[in-house]
Amino acid sequence: MWNDTTMYVQSPAKTSAVLDWLEVLSGAGLVLFILGHSLFVASVLFGAATFDGLAGFFESTGLAQVGGPLIGSVFLLHFILAARKIPFRTEQQKTLWAHARLMRHEDTWLWLVQAITGMLILFMGSIHMWIILNDLPITATKSVALAHSGLWLWFYLVFLFCVAMHVASGIYRAGVKWGYIRRDNRAKAKKALYILAGALVFLDLVSLIRFYFLSV
Amino acid sequence: MVETIYTDLLCLGAGLAGERVAIEAAGAGFDVICLSIVHSKRSHSSAAQGGMQAALGNSVMGEGDSPDIHFQDTVKGSDWGCDQEVARIFVDTAPIVMRELAYWGVPWNRVVGGKGSYYKGGQKFEKVEDAAKEGLITSRNFGGTAKWRTCYTSDGTGHAVLYTMDNRATQMGVKVHDRIEAIAMIHDGETCQGVVARCLRTGKLRVYLAKATLVATGGYGRIYKNTTNAVICEGGGQSIALDTGLVPLGNMEAIQFHPTGIVPTDILVTEGCRGDGGTLLDKNEDRFMPQYEPEKAELASRDVVSRRMIEHIRKGFGVKNSYGDDNLWLDIRHLGEAHIRTKLREVDEICQNFLGIDPLHQLIPVRPTHHYSMGGVRTNKDGAAYGLKGLFAAGEAACWDLHGFNRLGGNSLAETVVAGKIIGGKVVEYLKGASATFNTAIVDGFIKKEQARISALIHGSGKENVFELRTMMQDALMAGVGIFRNEKDLEKAVRTIQEVQERAKNIGLKSNGLGANPELGLALKLPGMVRLAQCVAYGALQRRESRGCHAREDYPARNDRDWLTRTLATWDEGADLPTLNYEAATPTFELPPGERGYGGGKIISADESEA
Amino acid sequence: MDRMLTIHVFRYNPQDPDSTPHMQSYYIDETESMTLFIVLNRIREEQDPSLQFDFCCRAGICGQCAMVINGRPNLACKTKTKDLPSQITLLPLPFFKLIGDLSVDTGTWFREMNTRVESWIHTQKEFDPAAEEERMDNDTAEKIYELDRCVECGCCLAACGTARMREDFLGAAALNRIARFVLDPRDQRQEKDFFEIIGNDQGIFGCMGLLGCEDVCPKNLPLQDQLGYLRRKMGIYALKNLRSTKKTC
Ligand SMILES: Cc1cc2nc3c(=O)[nH]c(=O)nc-3n(C[C@H](O)[C@H](O)[C@H](O)COP(=O)(O)OP(=O)(O)OC[C@H]3O[C@@H](n4cnc5c(N)ncnc54)[C@H](O)[C@@H]3O)c2cc1C
Ligand code: HEM
Ligand code: HEM
Ligand code: SF4
Ligand code: F3S
Ligand code: FES
Repeated sequence: MWNDTTMYVQSPAKTSAVLDWLEVLSGAGLVLFILGHSLFVASVLFGAATFDGLAGFFESTGLAQVGGPLIGSVFLLHFILAARKIPFRTEQQKTLWAHARLMRHEDTWLWLVQAITGMLILFMGSIHMWIILNDLPITATKSVALAHSGLWLWFYLVFLFCVAMHVASGIYRAGVKWGYIRRDNRAKAKKALYILAGALVFLDLVSLIRFYFLSV
Repeated sequence: MVETIYTDLLCLGAGLAGERVAIEAAGAGFDVICLSIVHSKRSHSSAAQGGMQAALGNSVMGEGDSPDIHFQDTVKGSDWGCDQEVARIFVDTAPIVMRELAYWGVPWNRVVGGKGSYYKGGQKFEKVEDAAKEGLITSRNFGGTAKWRTCYTSDGTGHAVLYTMDNRATQMGVKVHDRIEAIAMIHDGETCQGVVARCLRTGKLRVYLAKATLVATGGYGRIYKNTTNAVICEGGGQSIALDTGLVPLGNMEAIQFHPTGIVPTDILVTEGCRGDGGTLLDKNEDRFMPQYEPEKAELASRDVVSRRMIEHIRKGFGVKNSYGDDNLWLDIRHLGEAHIRTKLREVDEICQNFLGIDPLHQLIPVRPTHHYSMGGVRTNKDGAAYGLKGLFAAGEAACWDLHGFNRLGGNSLAETVVAGKIIGGKVVEYLKGASATFNTAIVDGFIKKEQARISALIHGSGKENVFELRTMMQDALMAGVGIFRNEKDLEKAVRTIQEVQERAKNIGLKSNGLGANPELGLALKLPGMVRLAQCVAYGALQRRESRGCHAREDYPARNDRDWLTRTLATWDEGADLPTLNYEAATPTFELPPGERGYGGGKIISADESEA
Repeated sequence: MDRMLTIHVFRYNPQDPDSTPHMQSYYIDETESMTLFIVLNRIREEQDPSLQFDFCCRAGICGQCAMVINGRPNLACKTKTKDLPSQITLLPLPFFKLIGDLSVDTGTWFREMNTRVESWIHTQKEFDPAAEEERMDNDTAEKIYELDRCVECGCCLAACGTARMREDFLGAAALNRIARFVLDPRDQRQEKDFFEIIGNDQGIFGCMGLLGCEDVCPKNLPLQDQLGYLRRKMGIYALKNLRSTKKTC
């Protein structure tokens, strides 16, 4: 406990503040990307042609080739920033688990969900991006093939769920931390969060199912 | 070895009084340590809700107020039992102190100019606050006062002031050693040199040696069974001073009962409730106070209101409750939501938390309960204790004697800070002239004595149960030394307490007494508490008159001829009763004894000859 | 009202070499308006006089009696048994140093905290005993009091996952205290001064928005709103003054 030690010197550096800004901005950036991304993938609902057309548009304009690696780096940056908050020492992890279990407190659990889904996203998202970006162009045919290879289907099911939860709780958390979600609108915001997560899962699932049954 | 800590000023207590004196001494460059049983911000001053009196006269209902009027209210309130020189110093300094507190950071409620309304006796009235006074410290109404004079922050005044004070003390470099309890006073027969204390973290003994020692340990309500006081209000400071055999305690029989403790927990709901227009109702939900006190009604002084409530209950108007006694109702429903949820929010919380009722729609069950001790370590007007040099006292622990036989609501919180400022100055003067030589043999003697007590409690053959003895003492006081007193009941109380005292010599612990053991803690304290209880009971038995809170059914008149005096109790080692002496209540009369204007009652004037 | 309550209490006396941390159960019959204050005192007086716990005001005012009651930190004195199941588990407040059984040392931590955030009015003005007090708007006074109501009980720290993981985190109580002084026109400290105290990962940027503090605070302080407000204020200050960093470093 710090009261056993002497006072330490305060540094008036702005580092923490800047990193905190970057954390929320990178998070927000990723959220926007994911929302767009899900809509793009959902274009398959209007048929393979629409999907391929959009994909072709991204590629011809170079958005995929440049955007892909860019997102990749924001993704990494966000991870590095968020990781400052994730307990890596087992002792801390144990304390936190015990704490969450004892308290039975929703928002504390929600943070754990966020940290864990975050770690999973790091892992799965990297693989996903690697696969997609190394095999451009994106076409409905390839996507359908992926959806049919059993393992990938399961991969996506887990992945999309993680992403939805992480996005929703991320928005909620950013809102709380920066004072946009306050005592008076917290309950409403919480509800909106679950609706958003549900909507995302639904949209992604529908796209995935569409891929599964799409004949090309 | 026992750890020894040296300092210039040792304050026993880190409540408002202790810290205010400490700040003064630290400001003058002296080394100060405050001891406290609990974290300083939890001292019982934090529980004061209503406010503190000072004749600022900013609010429209306080217009024309002055220290002179405050003085008259205080002396009348005390039923002429107070020291008028002290009362004069107090009323003159109080306004300055309130402003100083504002400067230090207390968020006093302020005057809001323009039209407003207030309640009195259940009825609504209009008032117009002077726009020119906007933003100055405002005030509310309290019992026994001619003007609205009580400065407040919502109903958390004690909390707000103590937090400001404690922070100020930290800023000034005052050291607080919390969870340390003084258990014996070290002295050489002439000068007080410090204390032996027990650490409530480890159970280890420690010695504090100081050039000056201040007793500011607050009240000792826990000698009674039913009290508004915190569980730490056990009179540790007063009892170790009494134990010296040299330091007298003043007016210990002067015990205040507050009209509105809630049933059954005796938690206080502030006088501010009645000050802000709340009323007292009986079982028929009729307002009864105007019938007894046409003039002041609910806002007569506390001793009077408490007595009238008991009178009314005795006439059969009490509400039978499931705890086996009667209560009355406090009604604040008409004050409205905005007022209750802001200006009386602690009351609101207490009602919700402890009674499960909403005071906006329901009546609050109340009964008079033990609240305040006017008595304490007798000091002169400089705060110096009688009997030992280098010993001072301030706050509720002291009998400075501002309150005589009844303190006015709002005067004691104000006293802690006013006295703290003044006595702080006197302590500084004393410290400037003091040099310290500590005689190790004497100090060792005191340590050995305490060690022997502890070891006897842990290893001895005593069989008495400390909790049972405490209950016996508390019950004896409740039964015999309550609101109404008489010879028969008082004698019985004195005898019971003597018995407790005898049996307390044979306390044996049931637990092992290791570390911060609570049973040992109480066992060390109980004999001292019993002696305090006896000073109360025996003092009350001997005082054959009625004055303020001391209401003798067998001597109903206030007797200025024989009893315009202050009781001084000392305790000789080994004795089973205190030795009582008396001194004149006040060295000068600015306001000669007369009618209080409420409470009725006969007066035997000083000029009347013996019947 | 004729429930028999089972109270499971954490027991450990560090001062007793024979003592080891364990849970102990006590049985007690429930009575009307019973609070944990009554329960624990009865256990001490009737069953086990060595049981350590802390109470002071027993009225929910002083903050002395915080403990973990069926998982949640709260003030024991104002907790009524009728609001609890018949199995009640009591643990000492985590985060703070254990004194014994249910008793922990909150005082030392809070004293240190107050020193660290310099929890007092900073002003160049001198007090003039002869002068009228400086005026203040009553609304401002009430807003300050709203934040001043913290009783330093420590529940918010015990309920905060961040504090549990990193013991140098200031916690909601300290941040709320800063917010109180930010609000106070008498305090002449500038944003820069406040930033020096809380503009770091031990301070406002360490908070992860877990809201345990908000949900347990027995005084119902608006902690969530204050934390959000401070983060924005400090964040914006940092952005505006990015370049001055080097100079002060
Ligand atoms: C519920 C309640 C409400 C009140 N409301 C009002 C009000 O509205 N207005 C008003 O004017 N007055 C009010 N009073 C009275 C007033 O609050 C007290 O008289 C006053 O606060 C006492 O302050 P103090 O500094 O003397 O003692 P306290 O604040 O009680 O401090 C005593 C200090 O001594 C320490 N201590 C005790 N024994 C020992 C020991 N043996 N060794 C070391 N330290 C020790 C304690 O830890 C504590 O720090 C109220 C009282 C109560 C009980
Ligand atoms: C720029 C890089 C990215 C590209 C080009 C891209 C492209 C695609 C494509 C084409 C699909 C359709 C399925 C498939 O072909 O396998 C898909 C699915 C998916 N992607 Fe990405 N992706 C990128 C980055 C990401 C990132 C960073 C995430 C999340 C962290 C993500 C999450 C998902 C999810 C959850 C699915 C499956 C759900 C669904 O069907 O909508 N993607 N992605
Ligand atoms: C690399 C994988 C990722 C990891 C390890 C990760 C981890 C985390 C963690 C632990 C937090 C909480 C930080 C805190 O409480 O202070 C967080 C916040 C957030 N994350 Fe992620 N995340 C990842 C990817 C993503 C993605 C792909 C998105 C977008 C879809 C995203 C959006 C957010 C948002 C909006 C926040 C809130 C910002 C804040 O609190 O400052 N994260 N992330
Ligand atoms: S903020 Fe609330 S929970 Fe935290 S210490 Fe203050 S009163 Fe207790
Ligand atoms: S619980 Fe802790 S993380 Fe922040 S919101 Fe409260 S301080
Ligand atoms: S004992 Fe004071 S808050 Fe519980």
